[in-house]
Amino acid sequence: MPNRGHKNVVVKQLVFNGRISFRIFFGVNEKRSRNQSDQPTMAEDLVLDTAIRDWVLIPLSVVMVLIGVLRYFVSKLMRTTQLPDAKIIKEGQLIVRARNLRAAANFIPPKAFRARKLYYTNEENGLLHVPKGQAQNPQAQMLSDPNMAMDMMKKNLSMIIPQTLTFAWVNFFFSGFVAAKIPFPLTQRFRSMLQNGIDLSTVDVSYVSSRSWYFLNLFGLRGLFSLILGEENAMDDTQRMMQMSGFGFDPSKSLGAEKDGLDIVNHEWVLPKLEQRAEAVLRKRLA
Amino acid sequence: MVSKTEESQLQQLENQVENGGGGAWEYLSLVRKLKLRRSDKVLKHGLTILNDPKKRAALGPDEWTLYEQVAIAALDCQCVDVAKDCIKILQKKFQDSKRVGRLEAMLLEAKGSWAEAEKAYSSLLEDNPLDQVISMRRVAMAKARGDILGAIDWLNKYLEIFMADHDAWRELAEIYVSLQMYKQAAFCYEEIILSQPMIPLHHLAYADVLYTIGGLENLQTAKKYYASTIELTGGKNTRALFGICLCTSAIGQLTKGRNNEDKEISGLAAAALEKDYKQNSPNKVALLASTLKSLKLQ
Repeated sequence: MPNRGHKNVVVKQLVFNGRISFRIFFGVNEKRSRNQSDQPTMAEDLVLDTAIRDWVLIPLSVVMVLIGVLRYFVSKLMRTTQLPDAKIIKEGQLIVRARNLRAAANFIPPKAFRARKLYYTNEENGLLHVPKGQAQNPQAQMLSDPNMAMDMMKKNLSMIIPQTLTFAWVNFFFSGFVAAKIPFPLTQRFRSMLQNGIDLSTVDVSYVSSRSWYFLNLFGLRGLFSLILGEENAMDDTQRMMQMSGFGFDPSKSLGAEKDGLDIVNHEWVLPKLEQRAEAVLRKRLA
Repeated sequence: MVSKTEESQLQQLENQVENGGGGAWEYLSLVRKLKLRRSDKVLKHGLTILNDPKKRAALGPDEWTLYEQVAIAALDCQCVDVAKDCIKILQKKFQDSKRVGRLEAMLLEAKGSWAEAEKAYSSLLEDNPLDQVISMRRVAMAKARGDILGAIDWLNKYLEIFMADHDAWRELAEIYVSLQMYKQAAFCYEEIILSQPMIPLHHLAYADVLYTIGGLENLQTAKKYYASTIELTGGKNTRALFGICLCTSAIGQLTKGRNNEDKEISGLAAAALEKDYKQNSPNKVALLASTLKSLKLQ
């Protein structure tokens, strides 16, 4: 060991699967005076064994990719062809049409716009108007329909189980050591999240455990999936989680929202302006 | 609508394939993706691939998609035998398949046995009442038989459910124009403009219909839409330029020349027309000049 005066060296040895052992070297610069408060000082660079990279980071990523691919194929096998509901399709198309009307309202003559607006928002039989009684609770509707409930359960299951298993596996095998260094500095608050297995409170927060590598992969493998599985199937876990929490299509609320949007729209016919611009265009052409 | 890059890519592939270079499969895939109608080319190059067992094996599972594409192209080119062969092969592989059932019904339609095709489509629709393609085929069949009112009926029913399908609105508008039901056609064109406000063709068609209906307000609106077409095409659309001149003269006729501020744009349009004619067809310039003069005098 280099002779630099007193040095606190903490050697932590961990046997990992009986095959690898590695050590962390921890140095405190003695030059800092003892009068300083007990703040954790900036550790010098830890040297991490390359064996960590070979046996932790890469296998973890490979396993997560494989699990994702497996999940994709399993979901393809288990997917039941959902018969499209006529009502839902009609409402979906209606919403698209109403949205088009709102977006391009300034391109049609005022009379046409008013006629259409009335058609959509008329209190009695307007297309977008949902009478109060019919606006059922969509959740109750979803749960009462057995097919949809099964579908949702299948989707949730296919996501929860692999996640839980992988997380437990990571915790069991890959805990208690520093796995990687994040290239940018972090505050102390992240310590509990990123360094859960490391019980040394003075290690720099940039050194993280393998749990955080797991989370990084969880949210970041979308790009890789899009390469492997083709553009549309690249769905990593963030999107799945969003899908899980969303309760599917809620027609009555969107219709109400469109109706409100349409009520607000002020028609300002843009054609006269276009006419003037056309004159300018012609003049430029002739010039 | 096809984007510019895709269009250039398509042209490039087409030239390459026509002149004997490779790339037939990429061309066919692009045509399929963009849903274009290039039936003769698809048929020619598709058949060269399919008749060569080595190339066919190289395709793998895409072979069946190619069979489907070639079958439809063959029906379009009236090569019923080729289509029948392709469909038979597909039937052997995928029995009881809706897609193959659809192809069979299309074969019946192409052969001209309307009643059987109608029966086939109805049975397919019973299984899946929300199939867009089959509903459209029913409309097309009605139109091909000359049953225009039936076509309108089916198309309206289709649009009640799928009201965001702008191609269907366009078809309906053209049918109405052919029947001279201009007010309904105007409604349809408004729907199309709402969904795609930046395409000059729709403005032009709408302006044409408005001009045909007539009436002062409609003529003024038509003039504005001709102007917007000019603006969207950078002043190069001859029909729109003529439209402006005609509208101005018609408005002038109706209002007995009271409104003088509209003359400016028509003067510009006339000058642009003269420039275009001098450039492209100089022997018709005299004809143009006399037409414009008669319009202005009126």
